[in-house]
Amino acid sequence: MTVFDSKFSRRQFLKGAAATLILPKALASGLQSAPQTPTTGPEADVVVAGGGTPAGLLRAAMAPLGGMGRFVKQGQRVVIKANFAWARTPEQACTNNPELMAALIKMVYDAGAKKVAVWDHTCDNYQFCLIRSGLKKTAQAAGAEILSGHGRNVYREVALPRGRKLKKAEYIKDALDADVLINFPLPKQHFATEVTLGMKNLMGLVWDMALLHRIDLHQCIADIGTIRHPDLVVVDAIRILTSNGPKGPGKTEDPLQVIAGTDLVAVDAYCAGLFKNPRTGKPFLPREVGFIKNAHDLGLGEIDLAKVRMKKVQGA
Amino acid sequence: MTKRIPGLRPAVQTLFFLGFLYLLFRAAFPLEIRFPVDLYLRLDPFIGLVTFITQKDIFLRMLPGFGILALTAIFGNFFCAWFCPMGSVIDFFGRVLFREKKRSKPMDDQALRRARTGILLVSLAGAVAGWQVLGLLDPISLITRTFAVFVFPAGTFLYDQVGLKAVGLLSGKAATLTAVPVPVFKAGALILLFFVLVLALSVIRKRFWCRYLCPLGTLLSLVSGLRLVRRSVTEDCTRCQRCVRDCPVGAIPADDPLTYRRSNCIDCFTCLDCPPRAVSFRLGGGSVSPARSVSMSRRYALGSLGLGLAAGLTFKLDPIRGAGRFKNSRLIRPPGALPEDRFVSVCAGCGECLKVCPNNALHPTFLEAGLDGIHTPRLVPRIGYCEELCNFCGRVCPTQAIRALDVEEKRLVQMGIARIDKTRCIAHDTDKTCIVCNEQCSYQAVVLDDKKRPSIDEDKCTGCGICENKCPVEGESAITVHSVGGQKRIAPRSVIIP
Repeated sequence: MTVFDSKFSRRQFLKGAAATLILPKALASGLQSAPQTPTTGPEADVVVAGGGTPAGLLRAAMAPLGGMGRFVKQGQRVVIKANFAWARTPEQACTNNPELMAALIKMVYDAGAKKVAVWDHTCDNYQFCLIRSGLKKTAQAAGAEILSGHGRNVYREVALPRGRKLKKAEYIKDALDADVLINFPLPKQHFATEVTLGMKNLMGLVWDMALLHRIDLHQCIADIGTIRHPDLVVVDAIRILTSNGPKGPGKTEDPLQVIAGTDLVAVDAYCAGLFKNPRTGKPFLPREVGFIKNAHDLGLGEIDLAKVRMKKVQGA
Repeated sequence: MTKRIPGLRPAVQTLFFLGFLYLLFRAAFPLEIRFPVDLYLRLDPFIGLVTFITQKDIFLRMLPGFGILALTAIFGNFFCAWFCPMGSVIDFFGRVLFREKKRSKPMDDQALRRARTGILLVSLAGAVAGWQVLGLLDPISLITRTFAVFVFPAGTFLYDQVGLKAVGLLSGKAATLTAVPVPVFKAGALILLFFVLVLALSVIRKRFWCRYLCPLGTLLSLVSGLRLVRRSVTEDCTRCQRCVRDCPVGAIPADDPLTYRRSNCIDCFTCLDCPPRAVSFRLGGGSVSPARSVSMSRRYALGSLGLGLAAGLTFKLDPIRGAGRFKNSRLIRPPGALPEDRFVSVCAGCGECLKVCPNNALHPTFLEAGLDGIHTPRLVPRIGYCEELCNFCGRVCPTQAIRALDVEEKRLVQMGIARIDKTRCIAHDTDKTCIVCNEQCSYQAVVLDDKKRPSIDEDKCTGCGICENKCPVEGESAITVHSVGGQKRIAPRSVIIP
């Protein structure tokens, strides 16, 4: 069937066009005049919550974004791209904080999700990763599926028309097809790319990661961001790895933060500052990290934090 | 005992065979099982005896095999007909695929019967010289290895192709059900070929392998000659030749069915199906003097022993095993393996370690370790690396050729050292950022210079091969692991304990 099959008159087209122009403004003005409720439009695009319990941090970070209800609707399938790529214990800060993951899954279910699936394509043997990170137990106790992309059958090849160097990639089908994709990274120091943040976490949805290293890692990480922009990014910065990353074990720091946002690049731009640049001895500027700059150049988000609606809140 | 229960033996054989399959299936992550997964190998007295001779040491794990010998001295050789999974498979395929060819006149098999005893003598004498043929000829080792390198991978492949879809449809999770990685094995085809050959020999005679070749069967036969439960035949015998025809190992001579070759009998009780009911098995029965099972000349026996010793000595001189230029530096043994000489003389080549390895890292050798090291395990990092927190191979090794180490101990075993080929390395050869090797290394043994080019800290490298495995260079890796003259224990302080 083509669009020409249906009878679509010029009059109808004009009506539709007029409606699309007028309606959003009318709606927006209507909302502005209405009294503020917690479910109204978001106050910020990036929220940094600091101090408190993992669940409290998550709640505090999500509220100014409009709550989880803004992203997850009744009956939806939600994919969380977590980080359990290594067979390390939670204290070593190489994999996600189990308490925070449990809180995130619970929050997604409370918003009405039908099923939550937690994915990663692990680097160490997936069986050891799932057990040692403690995340299998966590996810299953919270009622989510925890899935590892160790078989090629769960990937689908997609074209990257906006990609500069990566033109096609095999991406986890479930992450492409799910109603909501939540990126749930853990910031770590990284020998190859200085830091590993939200965008680098999405690499774990790709089958052939070795290929990216052969082409150009920084550009490929940015290119992967063009496949599917996550609906929400929740950064687990309760404890971060500051040396020997990404596999560790190494030194850790406890910023006790959860950063939530809708702008993939802006979130990474903020998180880069959690780490010291060994060259300058000062916190990383976003432009000093290759993939953040490349992603901004691709139009994936805003690198300049001054132009981003940011909010800092206290965790509970 | 005078009556055979129809169907009992196939039922018991099936049961033990399923037990064998189950234990081998459970030789896998997370390896939390109360039974030893290598139980069938521990019950094998041939492996127990040969490793005892080569090591001059008793292995606690192998003691159950000597229990089997004791039982055989009382009840006769029940092992082959009732327990041995290889025997069961041979029986099965002898019925369905490789049926015995009918022949007009009986076959004179004295020479073949001698061959079996000869093989046992060669292997025992070889063991004295530190050489063993377990890897090739022990039936339990043979079937375990074949199932580990062929049957289970084939089953996994079928599951991925067919079962996955069925399970997906039934559970409604077709989109997220991940295929199980199919293990691949170097030299796997060869092992399968040998197994099929063993089965196909049944075309010539029923249980050809068992009667004429199997060294474990021969050992049990020798002990079975002392048996206390014996077959006796009354004068009601009409010499109808039915038992002679039906005996799966040809233990009853055609010219005198009143007697039998006591040591050849495998207690299958087929001969109890006697029309005049003349046959019975009783404790202390069989007063008729037994037929000779095999006529061995002194010359033949001495020749076999000499051949075994000579073979053992010859293999010792194999240059590949020396320390010089011929040494195979890519021959990396599993973590905790005994020193190379002892390793090849005690490894039964059973393949339990190949099956249990979660990363498909261990592979059976063909000639990489010399002729006597055939089908012993080696680490092939490009296919799979040695998982940092895994010690499964040592835990399932029946002869402890790979010692069972704690995870902490195992992390300190240096199997080899990685070396970088700078002409192929992305970081050294181009100005791209790569350093997958550094990112993946579990022991922080890959260090970077200021231009992010990798080099190896040899005090920390264990040779696990994760770098070689993950190196993104196409084809052969730019970073490869080489053995460094035996395994060493590295200093604990150089490795961060996770």
